[in-house]
Amino acid sequence: MERKNFLKTFALMAAAGPMIIDGCKKDATTKTSSTTGTSSSSTSTSSTSGSCIVTADETEGPYPYVGGESTNPLDRSDVTGGQTGVPLTLSFLVVDAGNSCNVVSNARVDIWHCNKDGYYSGYANQNSSLGVKSYVGETWLRGYQLTDSTGVAKFTTIYPGWYSGRATHIHIEVYVNGVMKKTTQICFSESTNGVVYVSSLYSAHGVNPITNEADSILGNSTTDLANETVSLTGSVSEGYSGSYTIGIKL
Amino acid sequence: MSKAKIKIVYRQAIDESCSSAFEKAIFQASYDEFLLKSQAYNSEGKFKTFSKIKANDGRANSLHYKLSFSVGHFIAQLNNKIPVIKDNKGNKISFEVANFELIESHIEDASFHKVAINYETGLLSLIEIMGEYLLLANDDLPEHGPTDTFVLRMQPDLSIVSYHEMNQPRIILNAS
Repeated sequence: MERKNFLKTFALMAAAGPMIIDGCKKDATTKTSSTTGTSSSSTSTSSTSGSCIVTADETEGPYPYVGGESTNPLDRSDVTGGQTGVPLTLSFLVVDAGNSCNVVSNARVDIWHCNKDGYYSGYANQNSSLGVKSYVGETWLRGYQLTDSTGVAKFTTIYPGWYSGRATHIHIEVYVNGVMKKTTQICFSESTNGVVYVSSLYSAHGVNPITNEADSILGNSTTDLANETVSLTGSVSEGYSGSYTIGIKL
Repeated sequence: MSKAKIKIVYRQAIDESCSSAFEKAIFQASYDEFLLKSQAYNSEGKFKTFSKIKANDGRANSLHYKLSFSVGHFIAQLNNKIPVIKDNKGNKISFEVANFELIESHIEDASFHKVAINYETGLLSLIEIMGEYLLLANDDLPEHGPTDTFVLRMQPDLSIVSYHEMNQPRIILNAS
């Protein structure tokens, strides 16, 4: 058969075939059914007929995440997600600055930051001196935790890299009972940045040319910058750790 | 030789009327996240809809990206196969990237919440267009011999988003 005739024939066969489209149609499996065959109706989702009953309908949720977890996988203390870098442990204490600095438990603390090369997960076409990268669909270096009874949420991550135009930073949001109470950023001392960025995993990208003081966001208030700079202990080989108190008003 | 290298996007819109487990999960997770994350651009709840929040503060456009993290784990369960559409043999089409899009929402009424997932394929070889059907191959076509192909019907929400015409062989006619 000549290719042209084959294609014509194929097109006709294809046109006759069914197409399966099952977008936002109602799910037949969730319909309430009746075994009586009568036209009677009821608001109850279970009914009897003879010696059996029609099983009651219930909601399909909650929906398991990949791996079967019932909670969001971003609800995690270790946000590393396979990214390499100098280990960093952060402990956030959430307190009510409007009420004697009492600790706030069950506050949701979200953090996110870029990887050692300055790229964020979830973004496409990110420019850097190390090339254009897309990480759509990936979630590394993002996560949230609920504060415990002592008001603390802990994260294990890596020391962030940097991207053009910004000082090194980590984003933070705090929610209490679903209400956003704080959006902020933290940074680290320039001396620590300087040590980390010449270490083996970070040296390809090099030292961040934007200092904390020169940063358009962190550097616009000397007082705020001092409060937002988290003091760390540790080393490149051992990793770093630090604590930071987030004051909110409930 | 193929006519062109193309990329296809299928846009799956999801709203309250959707009923598959996947769609419900996407709907609920993204709405819950919208209620949280939209507050950054609407702290007093003055604006009710995403459209109005966005019109008031352009930074709210980042909600497309911020909400995507709440649904990424569901999309990962698709194993890079586009749901809903299939080729004429009933096989699912592979996608490379899934982009989340917040179409509309409302901070007090979930029935306004509507999102879309745009599934983008890798480069496909477009061999022939037959009416509303595309004859495609996942791989480059060999110079000689057969290649595996599949047929996909153009349909609502399916788009060709990238088109790179390939060099067509010259046809030399001998006039006599």
